[in-house]
Amino acid sequence: MSTSTNYSKNVILLPQTNQLIGLYSIIRDQSTRRGDFVFYSDRIIRLLVEEGLNQLPVQKTIIKCHGNHEYEGAKFLGKICGVSIVRAGESMEMGLRDCCRSVRIGKILIQRDEETALPKLFYEKLPEDISERYVFLLDPMLATGGSAMMAVQVLLARGVQADRIFFLNLLAAPEGIQTFQNKYPEVKIITGGIDQKLNDDKFIVPGLGDFGDRYYGI
Amino acid sequence: MTCSESDVSSESHSEPNTEGYFKDKTKYIPPWTEPYIIGIAGNSGSGKTSISQQIIRELNQPWTVLLSFDNFYRPLTKEQSAKAFANEWDFDTPDSLDLDALYDTVKKLKQGEKARIPVYSFELHGRTDKVTTIYGANVIIIEGLYALYDKRLLDLMDIKIYVDTDLDICLARRLTRDILYRGRDLQGAMKQWETFVKPNAVRYLNPTMNNADLVIPRGLDNVVAIDLMIGHIKKQLGLKSLAHIRHLKALGQDIEFDIHRYPNLKVLPINNQTMGINSILFNKNTLMSDFIFYFDRMATLIIEAALDQLTNYQSVDIQTDPNFPPFKGLQQRDNLIAVTVIRSGDCFVTSLKRTFLEIPIGKLLIQSDSLTGEPQLHQERLPRGIDNLKNKKILLFDAQIISGAAAIMAIQVLIDHKIGETDIIFCSYLSTEIGLRRILRVFPRVKIVVGKLSSLGDTSKFPKYNPEQFIDSNWHFKNRFIDSLYFGAK
Repeated sequence: MSTSTNYSKNVILLPQTNQLIGLYSIIRDQSTRRGDFVFYSDRIIRLLVEEGLNQLPVQKTIIKCHGNHEYEGAKFLGKICGVSIVRAGESMEMGLRDCCRSVRIGKILIQRDEETALPKLFYEKLPEDISERYVFLLDPMLATGGSAMMAVQVLLARGVQADRIFFLNLLAAPEGIQTFQNKYPEVKIITGGIDQKLNDDKFIVPGLGDFGDRYYGI
Repeated sequence: MTCSESDVSSESHSEPNTEGYFKDKTKYIPPWTEPYIIGIAGNSGSGKTSISQQIIRELNQPWTVLLSFDNFYRPLTKEQSAKAFANEWDFDTPDSLDLDALYDTVKKLKQGEKARIPVYSFELHGRTDKVTTIYGANVIIIEGLYALYDKRLLDLMDIKIYVDTDLDICLARRLTRDILYRGRDLQGAMKQWETFVKPNAVRYLNPTMNNADLVIPRGLDNVVAIDLMIGHIKKQLGLKSLAHIRHLKALGQDIEFDIHRYPNLKVLPINNQTMGINSILFNKNTLMSDFIFYFDRMATLIIEAALDQLTNYQSVDIQTDPNFPPFKGLQQRDNLIAVTVIRSGDCFVTSLKRTFLEIPIGKLLIQSDSLTGEPQLHQERLPRGIDNLKNKKILLFDAQIISGAAAIMAIQVLIDHKIGETDIIFCSYLSTEIGLRRILRVFPRVKIVVGKLSSLGDTSKFPKYNPEQFIDSNWHFKNRFIDSLYFGAK
């Protein structure tokens, strides 16, 4: 991954290469068939995960190589886990597993309360030792940031350190980034694209449609 | 702002002066350009074919090709064909052969190009619709009655052999062959011998003996002469191999060749992620399952970096919702083809499947001779129609670049298939500096993407790309270990 231009230091935007814009052109296209949508989304998700992994600390260590050579290499430090926001966030688990085998994955279900129109926590299932882990929070779209902020709140309550949370998403609205950053400036946002705006109906414009519906074919 | 370097060229502060690199280009001469050509002539039934086969057996090299004159008979018209079936057509004059086509074929092969050979049928007295494609031959044996007849062909040959067997013996052998294998009857075969074969032999063929370097009396029975001849050919091929290796070694030794600022080279950035993965791949205690997993991750990163090299994009407006402004998108316009160098390039196949829904995958088998280290092309299977495909970009894979010799040969194979130098993206994980120098010296316009680079000697030259201070002679950059560990078989 190369240069990421961005907002503040905790907003990491994948390099907007022609290649990446080409991938987004495929998944944004409403006539793209589901198989292709899933395939190319997974590719972008892997890039997000790789960028996330690149943010983790390493420790210098002597590597004993084949051929009896030794050199100072690096060892990955710290345990990680994924936390997906049900349902759309689960679509990113596959990409996460492609890059981190046997990673633990927690789930959080947040839904909009019909009466108050505010997000409400319905369900959470997280690894016991999550407070010692780096957390990759998975939700493909950052629109208003409501669900993600509630998920972060849950994670913090479980003892996760704010600067060890990485929120991975494919597409973000500037308004959502702003709200999220104001509330949790230490959480890192890793995104593949920042769109024009959030419209009055709270949709990302131009967006890509409902990610979960398109990924799960509903 | 996070900023990680990924591009060798973007790192230099001043604009790199790239012109010199392209001007200094050196030509690589693969062993199939200027192959060793052996001409073998002699009477019908003299044992030419047996001697040719003996040579092929003794040389025991897969890139030895037998080119028989039999496939270059001129196709007959209807009337001529009727005559032929009545044994009244003269097949034994030089005119019955399409010597021009034969000359063109041999000339093409001599220049290292691909040639298509017609297949002639004796049952039909005409060319079949089949053709044989010959490419990459290091030794070509041209065998036929008139192999030593045409001046143009003689000039292309390295050694000219005439098999001089008594005509009585020739007749006996010819009768057996014609009747048993070519569906003729005794009467017809005898008629042909008396009217055509023998008179032509005396008039046209026997005088070509004077063009030979070597005359072998009694054909295959002459063990001493054949041994001497094969010994001589082997020695010449040995010299040719030596010249090839010397030529490869000499490439890229020029001191002032700063690959650090080379415009077409991309090295993956050194960051936590790549350093960590490299450490796992280099560690001798890594389990095979981990090795495969982390190599696949590394390979995927290399492929993504290779795709960043593509430039042929078209703007497209993507409508995500009828009421929203369109997304200003891009559509990649190239036809991508992957080619792996067996076996080490095959380590990239899993990652290829992860990155592309469908991509044709061609294969090249290039192996280094265990004694001399000379790279040898054993087989090439490229997607059909690759020559004529428009807007193609070839992703060529080999997990390691050590001497650079196999890479140069692989690129040459693609170029021989009419693929432009600029349309090749060579992808590799580990590369020595000398290997890169050699490749870039010969093919400065080929794009190269590598995961990790070692240094020729002074490691301070690449502080950013080689903080571990690997040099070319370190074990990892000298041994082809990636595919052994990936596939679990030495």
